[in-house]
Amino acid sequence: MLIKVPSALHIGLETVGVDVEINMASRGLPGFEIVGLPSKAVDESRERVRTAIVNSHIEFPAQKITVNLAPADIPKEGSFYDLPIAIGILSAVLDFRIPEKTLFFGELSLDGSLRHTKGALLLALFAREFGYKHLFVPKDSVNEAAAIPEIKVYPVRHLAEMVEHLVGRVQLIPVSKPQSLPDAETHPEFDMAEILGQEQAKRAMEIAAAGGHNILMVGSPGAGKTMLARALPGILPSLNETESLEVTKIYSASGNVKAGGGLLSTRPFRAPHHSTSLVGLIGGGSKPQPGEISLAHRGVLFLDEFSEFPRSVLEALRQPLEDGYVTIARALRRVQYPAQFMLVASSNPCPCGYLNHPKKPCICSPREVQKYRKRASGPILDRIDLHVEVPAVAVDDLAQNRQAKQGELSAAIRERIQRTRNSQQQRFREEGIQTNAEMKNAHLKKYVQLEPEVEQILRQAANRFQLSARSYFRMQKIARTIADLEDVKEIELKHMAEALQYRPKIHDEE
Amino acid sequence: MKNKQLNLAVGRLGEKLAREYLQKKGYKILEQNYRTRYAEIDLVAKRKDVLVFVEVRTKVGEQFGTPEETLNFYKLKKVRQNAAAYAAHVRWDKLYRIDAVCIVLGENHALQRIAHYENIKS
Repeated sequence: MLIKVPSALHIGLETVGVDVEINMASRGLPGFEIVGLPSKAVDESRERVRTAIVNSHIEFPAQKITVNLAPADIPKEGSFYDLPIAIGILSAVLDFRIPEKTLFFGELSLDGSLRHTKGALLLALFAREFGYKHLFVPKDSVNEAAAIPEIKVYPVRHLAEMVEHLVGRVQLIPVSKPQSLPDAETHPEFDMAEILGQEQAKRAMEIAAAGGHNILMVGSPGAGKTMLARALPGILPSLNETESLEVTKIYSASGNVKAGGGLLSTRPFRAPHHSTSLVGLIGGGSKPQPGEISLAHRGVLFLDEFSEFPRSVLEALRQPLEDGYVTIARALRRVQYPAQFMLVASSNPCPCGYLNHPKKPCICSPREVQKYRKRASGPILDRIDLHVEVPAVAVDDLAQNRQAKQGELSAAIRERIQRTRNSQQQRFREEGIQTNAEMKNAHLKKYVQLEPEVEQILRQAANRFQLSARSYFRMQKIARTIADLEDVKEIELKHMAEALQYRPKIHDEE
Repeated sequence: MKNKQLNLAVGRLGEKLAREYLQKKGYKILEQNYRTRYAEIDLVAKRKDVLVFVEVRTKVGEQFGTPEETLNFYKLKKVRQNAAAYAAHVRWDKLYRIDAVCIVLGENHALQRIAHYENIKS
């Protein structure tokens, strides 16, 4: 007896169809075999399926069972084949028909209950693309899959319940609307208002957040660089629908959506330690997994102590910083992950940290300082749009500041940024991009027209500070964002002048 | 020499006990000590259209290990090969399976424990 259950297979963020073929022979020695390049997790599914069926009070058939996952030459991974295999076997035992246009998905527990399984959203997208109508997923994964409204998604708690539905004794009801549970509306550690002084750095942060620009903060220890970065999530606008789907896809594929979770709405904020490996940051492995840059897609990648990262790791950021995606090619497969993130980096000016400090002397030799600076190469620094110094704040000022006026609250800044992002979205609605930072040169030509006098000051600055061609264009993007923040259509002289303050200071001598 | 004879006798006794036990359970015994060039099958039985090959393991006392422990991979492989040979010989085209019966005897060879494991190794 041959049974076929449709299923799928994830390669990176792409999904292709897989047929789970099950043959039950009534001759020879009873056994249970899975073929079709199963990984260890898929192969072990035999024990889970067998035990789950027994624990659902159904006798496991003493027959020779052969499961083939076709096409046979692509390696199969993941634990979600448990349910289709179990359903296939049970359809023979209990004699029911496998419903059409239906996908089953989920990992079985030994007691027969279904566990939250990664990749439910990807399967729902696959189902929509290939005309499947019904999707059975573990209850804890249902909010994820139900984000695709065209598919009827049924929450399943237990294998026995699933069987009851298929033999027609009980009717499972599809979820009508994904519950939007309080998706960890993470309260940032700091409010911008708590940061005393540092008005220029705060302003730079606001510009960066508004246009999705990269930013580098340089300053002495304890000046507030990390605090500024940690306050950043508080001023970031929430994800729009397109972005949310993109981000959730990555998180779903890598198993980072927690049980019961649905579409993500807060922008990711990733702060990997400087001991992170190249593969950990960029993504990779023999079965390429997304790295920190992809997990920071549409959000923030915060690299604290930028200069402490190994050079090879930093240099690997070049291409994704420019392209907004990363292609990981391995001998067996090639995977593309989006990586449109906003890089926030912080660094000390020298090894001891006190170069240019108003009071404390720097004890580094010029050679040491130079060597330290060289850790981050020109090409990387050139790709960072905003360079800002975070000077040390004198303790007397702090005490005074506390009594004096408070800074602007994060919520207020966030509102302004949200408005700016909305107008960018409006502007780029036909371009397939979301922010000013993503503009390519063609977009610049179309959306950034400079008045002669504005262009002149930019050209002068470019000559004077030896800005690269890339920086030249990046300055225009920043000026665009600054003008957007003021809701002004034309870029004025003051906008460009402000943008130029944040120019890359690679070759500048102190 | 004496020990070997003793072991053989214990084995025979175990097979007899197993045979009676299975018959009581409704199995029809087809062969006892069926020999091929690979090895010997202790019992060949039949129930409900399923051919059952039974490996019997007997021990006197469990101080030196249980009879279950003596069912190793190598022995099972032999039994499997043997079963396939028998099935081919009698042109059996339905299901067959391999069972084990483990027996523990007391001091004066009285039955202490008997356990029947159906469909081992699948």
